[in-house]
Amino acid sequence: MSFLRILLIAAAFIFIGILPVHAKDMIVKEPPKSLSKYYPPESKQPKWIQQMHKMSTHFGGIFVNLKEKDYENVDVHADRLVEEYKKTSEMVPEWEDYFDIKAVEAFAAAAKTHDIAKAGKESGGLGKTCGKCHAEQEISVWAKFHWPSFHKIKVTDPISEKEVEFDDYMGSISTSFKGVTVNFGEGQYGRAAKALKVFKSRYMELKSTCSKCHATQDVKRFYVGQDADTSFAGLSQELNSEKPNPEKFWKNIGLLGKTGCKHCHLVHRTNSFIQKVWEQ
Amino acid sequence: MRRSSQIFDLIIGVGLIGVSGFAMLYFLVNERFEWIPEQVLELARDPEILKRPPAKKCSECHKIIYEAWKDSRHSISWTSETFIEASENRSKEKCLPCHIPQSVQGEKPSPRMDLRDEGIYCVSCHFIDNKMQGPYDLLAPPHPTFRNPDYVRSNFCGSCHQKTFKEWKATNVEDTCQDCHMPRKKSRLTQKAGFNLLHKKRWVGDHRFLHGEIKEKDVVMEPGWEENFFIISLKNQTIPHFVPTADNGDPRLYLYIKFFNEAGEEVDNAKEIIAPQQETALPYNKKMRYRYRLFDKIIKAEVQLKYQPAWSKEKSTLRTETVFR
Repeated sequence: MSFLRILLIAAAFIFIGILPVHAKDMIVKEPPKSLSKYYPPESKQPKWIQQMHKMSTHFGGIFVNLKEKDYENVDVHADRLVEEYKKTSEMVPEWEDYFDIKAVEAFAAAAKTHDIAKAGKESGGLGKTCGKCHAEQEISVWAKFHWPSFHKIKVTDPISEKEVEFDDYMGSISTSFKGVTVNFGEGQYGRAAKALKVFKSRYMELKSTCSKCHATQDVKRFYVGQDADTSFAGLSQELNSEKPNPEKFWKNIGLLGKTGCKHCHLVHRTNSFIQKVWEQ
Repeated sequence: MRRSSQIFDLIIGVGLIGVSGFAMLYFLVNERFEWIPEQVLELARDPEILKRPPAKKCSECHKIIYEAWKDSRHSISWTSETFIEASENRSKEKCLPCHIPQSVQGEKPSPRMDLRDEGIYCVSCHFIDNKMQGPYDLLAPPHPTFRNPDYVRSNFCGSCHQKTFKEWKATNVEDTCQDCHMPRKKSRLTQKAGFNLLHKKRWVGDHRFLHGEIKEKDVVMEPGWEENFFIISLKNQTIPHFVPTADNGDPRLYLYIKFFNEAGEEVDNAKEIIAPQQETALPYNKKMRYRYRLFDKIIKAEVQLKYQPAWSKEKSTLRTETVFR
């Protein structure tokens, strides 16, 4: 191997080593299968997130008690943190390298000196191990285990009365929406009125779809609520009038898009895209 | 002769003692069980019952109630295919509290960790604050039972059926959930041989938790014509909550209308989905009106009302009507 080649490889290693991890470099990778056993349905409870809360509580508990000079409880939290950290490090074999037992032990030892400055200094090493895993895995875990999957939702199409996949249903809504706007644009108001009935029926079905995850009425009304009712009433009025007013028609179409479609897409689509890639 | 008379007297005597002993026991068990010393009752206690047993254990005495419950939707709240599918293999958190309640007591319960296949079972509703509770104060030697008036009040069912409870409350109708969905009849609470005779008959609710059928008198349908519109109204006249109703399930009424021209051809149609999740269910005692513009010359409309419960994909026809212009 030539000297120049070795130099180039060495330079590359140095460059990669010092390169900070920026958000733009983030890779949202599906979490390992072994994590599934700590979340429903494989587990009765979401044990992984509970484990995170335990560690976080003991970590926080050390500083709360150091400030209150409750040293007995500082020691209790320090011991429990080490215990839970070790336990967590064994839960997902693929993530074993994120954990540094020496770092947690060093932090616990510093905490037990009851010197808050020492504890603060030693917490950095431990914090880095948590931070690295969170930076690389937290979004994936939330996308996979904390958000229900859109791709498992089935919707009964109110027109065909057949159960269809959620994505296909969104396609049907989009098609029936175009039936309204395209026909209106062409001056085919009778056809637009018939298409509106189909579109409205499919759109309103989304209230049932929202209910599959959301338990409160207010949440689904945020997407399919008063604004949607007003828009549909306005559209219907125009299409059933002798001479529809295009300005009023398009205003209502815009209102429907902004308050219904866009609200939902802004909240839900990003996560849905991530899940879709994993499920393909 | 004298000897046989003595035997006869003995039989009569033993019989009288037996009958009066039984009568006394019956009186004590049913009317004055507080007179029985706790030390005596301790001998009859079954500690296993106070450890949240499966429903089968309760069936050893309460056979009729157990069998009714077995027939109910409550018994399959965790195992039904519809639930498993709708809850994404039981992973949706919002479903768990009411499908596997730890303890039902007037507010949204917590989900339990054990015996999940039992669904909403005896212990969920009757074992509250570590003691057996029900609509009566009872001796029940294996487990003392304490009266809680909530068992005959709607707020008990409202722990889970919160939306329906609110709907019912707004109607100001006195009939409770239990009046319609747990109709009572005089029966013995236990069927265990021997013990059943010791317990007097009481009003016992039907633990199938009946799901009322929607009859013609319940939902009144009035179709009619108005210039170039077809109008139809539906009124929930008798059921003191929305129809259909559900907190999270998706039961539906489907109203289908077909329009025919003079040639008898179907030229148009319309459909309404009447469902709680779409906020289109029929409120109590209020006429809901649907209006359809007719684009062709229509002389006849065929109207059909169908019902699909939350747990089924099948619809049953409630009403069919042909309306001429």
